[in-house]
Parts: sequence; structure tokens; C-alpha cells
Amino acid sequence: MSNTKDFIIEQIKNKISEHKADITIKNTGKVISTSDGIVKISGLSEVAMSEMIEFKNEEKVVYGVVLNMEEDNVGAIILGDYSKIKEGDEVIASGKILQVPVGEEMVGRVVNPLGEAIDGKSSIKTDKSYPIEKIAPGVIKRQSVNEPVQTGIKAIDAMIPIGRGQRELIIGDRQIGKTAVAIDTIINQKGQNMKCIYVAIGQKKSKIASIVSKLEKNSAMDYTTVILAGASDPASLLYIAPYSGTALAEYFLDKGEDVLIVYDDLSKHAVAYREISLLLRRPPGREAYPGDVFYLHSRLLERSCRLNKENGGGSITALPIIETQAGDVSAYIPTNVISITDGQIYLEPDLFYKGNRPAVNAGLSVSRVGSSAQIKAMKKVAGKMRLEAAQYRELAAFAQFGSDLDQDTKAKLERGKRLNEILKQDQYSPLLVAKQVLIFYALINGFIDDVEVENVMKFEEGLHQYADMAGKKVLDQISNGEFNEELEAEMKALISDYKATLQ
Amino acid sequence: MKITPKEYATGLFYSISGKNDDEIKNIVNNFVNLLIINNDVSKADKVSQVFSSLWNKENKIVESEVTTSNKLDAESQESLKKFLIKESKAKEVIIKENIDKSILGGMIIKYNDKILDRSLKTKIKNLNNFIKR
Repeated sequence: MSNTKDFIIEQIKNKISEHKADITIKNTGKVISTSDGIVKISGLSEVAMSEMIEFKNEEKVVYGVVLNMEEDNVGAIILGDYSKIKEGDEVIASGKILQVPVGEEMVGRVVNPLGEAIDGKSSIKTDKSYPIEKIAPGVIKRQSVNEPVQTGIKAIDAMIPIGRGQRELIIGDRQIGKTAVAIDTIINQKGQNMKCIYVAIGQKKSKIASIVSKLEKNSAMDYTTVILAGASDPASLLYIAPYSGTALAEYFLDKGEDVLIVYDDLSKHAVAYREISLLLRRPPGREAYPGDVFYLHSRLLERSCRLNKENGGGSITALPIIETQAGDVSAYIPTNVISITDGQIYLEPDLFYKGNRPAVNAGLSVSRVGSSAQIKAMKKVAGKMRLEAAQYRELAAFAQFGSDLDQDTKAKLERGKRLNEILKQDQYSPLLVAKQVLIFYALINGFIDDVEVENVMKFEEGLHQYADMAGKKVLDQISNGEFNEELEAEMKALISDYKATLQ
Repeated sequence: MKITPKEYATGLFYSISGKNDDEIKNIVNNFVNLLIINNDVSKADKVSQVFSSLWNKENKIVESEVTTSNKLDAESQESLKKFLIKESKAKEVIIKENIDKSILGGMIIKYNDKILDRSLKTKIKNLNNFIKR
């Protein structure tokens, strides 16, 4: 036993000798007033914008961030519990811009925007921290997007492909599957060499609990960090949450890794920022948002990027989520974020209630850079498929009126119906790209035309199972990104073989 | 238009600079009358506060507060004064001494908006936090 005791004492001695007492002159101020998480401070003569400040308190140190600097006072937000801060309290400037701890230890954890664990497991010890605000990488460091992010969702991977380093907005009304798209994408990143960060802004904690358990069940927490600023947290934490998530993403980016970050959702973030701005008495603009909401989101999303080889070659792919009110995409925040991102996935209530889930509206959804990032085989089938889908949409609206249709039109309508069936997909069941290519190939080459519409889903399921058993080689070849006549013939053979087993 | 205490104080300061005692008396009388006419007597407290800080700044006088656990002897008081004059680049330093047993040892020096906390209590607290991490 004495051995362990000596060991402990030795450890303590080492620790103490490591400790360096910092004795620098610090700037101080006094709290003039405090209300709703906002403090007005006098003094703090040399404080900088967005500098971290400490409120001296008996038990716990509470931090704040300077957001306003006026002639004779400083306005700041309090990060955390503000009920114990009183008028006349002493405030000390830390001399540091707001930083959050980052590191590998964060992976698999649920943390708050300040990097403190809130999942009930051990506290997180990291030796690095990154500033939450950073200027986005410049033109010289960047490279165009050329590698795909496989979401595992057929409708998205085929028609609205996303590339590594892209910013793709997910937009739609409440309760329509926006989060589901993002979570499915995270689940599908298993083994794809991707770190995932899910930033929940103003979400119900029950929802996050169920998401985390779903991720754990699919062993997606091995590469995912959840940053949670819940609905009951003060607006200041909601405000810094996406920035602190991006700071963590940049840590992995600097190591040359690929990161996927989901901001769920930015409309609540804008509302939190509006609250802070109004309390700080900044003048309100349209919809009472302050003048710099555009900059609020543009500086955040601009930090997503794909770096070139000389700068590590990492990437940050961002999937911001925006909630619209009754399908109104022309409100202030939706239009802002649409114009910042490289495309959007528009989820439509009508489709959702008709049972087309995920309710992706292929007409209004676009991806401005993604198609250059698709694998070759997918590019081949998706092009044709997109055309079929567009033709079907046009004809379907038309065909409601007349019953007399020529053969050609009828065939197109029938195929369109089957395409619709194929695009339906259950939640938490992402699909391999190779299998996606296979089913789309079957469709555009007329293999499914003689299957009843009701049976298409069953047919598809069977095809995937058959391919798992008999077509491993073909699937591998598709995944490798090659596409030639030989492979095409093999795919044809595989599908016909499968069809033969059905009869 | 409303006149802020700061404007009152700067006005007063510049109007009395370079004047002799008799003139200053006159100016101050006028100033008080002005406050009464403008119905701003309630601001007098604030004005005198701003005025004294302005005065200190212009004449390079620094007020400082020193907290120690035991009373300082004359020698350390003198070296403290020298230290403060060097640090704040002031011509004159006014030191207000506080005695607080709870800081255990060392001293806390405050001047202007700055603080230099070298008390034993804070050092122990920092060490405690460091070991806990």
C-alpha cells in the first residue's frame, strides 16, 4: 500500500511543480446592471470585442462575452447561470477571445457549447482549445468539391448530391423529417472516414436523448459529437453553440480529416441572436432581427470548406437546417441562408402527408456543386433518372384532366409511379451507393415496368438481398467508381437472374 | 437639450483651468447657479464624481487601493508607491489601505481599472483548481 501512497504523493508533487502562478495585471470592472442574461459593466478599459470575462463569485466562476462597447459602459452576455450575479460584482477581463476545448476526447460525447460534458460520463480533459470565431480559410487554401458525402438516402444521393466541403441547406416546415435526413446521413457515415458533429440549438432535450440513443444503437456515436444548447438554456449559449461546433470541426480539419457538421436549427439560432441584440438595445430591422443577421450566418457557413493538399486536404461539410412557417421560404432568415448555402433540400408537407417519405421536393431542391462529386456509376444512372422524374412531374399534372392518353405517355406515367415508390425510404435505413445504383439502373432500363406499383418496394428489398448473396463482386465494382459496358452487362445479368427467381 | 454630467464636468474643468482662486470661486458659483436654472441639481453628485476622475487624469494622479492581511510598514509602503508610479506612469499616487485577514498573505493592488492579485488566498485557489484538472 505504501507504494501507492508514495506514488500519489509523487504525482501531487509533480503537479505542483508544473503549476505556474500567473501574476499579471488584469483589467477589472464593476457590474452596473444585470437583466435577462445581459450585463452592463463600467470600467474594463482595455477589453476587446468578444473577449472572455470572469464574474467573481463565491462558488463557481461564471464567464461572459463582451458584445457591446459604448462610451462609458460595456455590454456583455453571460454564459451560464446569471441568477447569482449582482450589481456591484467585480468583473475581470481574461485577455483571451472566447475559446472552447477541442480534441479527440470530444468524440462520442454529448457536451454543452462550452465543451463541458452533459452526458453524465466523466468530465472531458483536453489540452487544446480553439477560438470560437475564426476567419474562414481564404481562396488560396481552398479546392473545389470533388468527393461525395454519401447520405444513404436515395432521393438525395441521386438527385441532389452533396460533396465534401459543401454547404447544403435542409429546409421545410416543422415535423416533416428535416432532422431525420440529417441523422440518417450521420448514421451512413460509418466507415466513410468522416467525423460528425451534431449541433442542437434550442431543441427539446427529450428529442436529443432519443437521437443520441438512436445513434448509439447504430454505433454512430463512435465518430459523432453532439453539442447541445437546449430550449431551457440561456440565449447566450444558443448563440455560441454553432460557432463552438465549428471550432471543434476546425480542429479535425487542421488534422486533415473530413468533418460533417449539422446545425439543427439556424432559425432558432437567429431568434436567440435577436433576443440578445434587442436586450443590448441594438436597433431592430426587418422582422425585428438586427442588421447583422446575414453576417451572423454567412461568417459561420463560410468556415465550411474543402482545403487543398498543401493545407492538409481536410473538409467541413455543413448541413444547416432551417424551419419555415407554413412553407414560407421567402421569409427573412430562409432567404438569407438559401443565398449563403450551395443548394437546398426542400421538404414539402404535401408529399409528406401523401406518404412520400423522405418528402424531398425534387423540383425545388438543388445542389450547386454536388454532381461533380458523384461516383461515375451514379452519375450515369442519375442523369437519366432525373429526366424521367421531371417528365413524370409534368405529365402527372397534365394527365389528371384527360383520360385518353397515347401509349408513350402512359408508359412514362407508369414508370414515374414506380420511381416514386423507389424514392420512398424508411427512417434509419440508409442504403449503400452501389445498391442505389443497382435499383435505379433496373428502373431506367425497364426491368421494373412489369412489377405492380404496390409490389415495387418488395421487389427492391428482394433485389438488395439477392445482390448481397450473389452480386458482391458487382456491388464492389460499382462502389469503386468504375463504370463500363462490362459492368453494365453484369448488372443486367444480375437483375434478370433475380427476376427469374421471382417467377 | 439635456446636458449630461460628463458634459457639465468637462465644461467646468476647462473653464477653471489656468485661473486663480478668486476666479475659480466665481466660476463655481456660476456653475451651481447654472445647475439650479437647468433643474439639474440632482446630477451634482455624478458631476463631482466625473470631475474628480477627470482632474486625476489630467494631473496624472492615480488613486489606488491596497488590501493586505497585516498593516504595511513604512518601507514597504514607500516601495509600493514607487512600484505604482512606475506601473501607471503617474506623477502622484494616493494609496488607500485596507486590512483583510481572509486573504491570508500577500496583497491585492487595485488602481484605475486594473487589479494585481498576489494574495495567498488566490494562489492557493488557483493551485487547487490546477490539481483538480
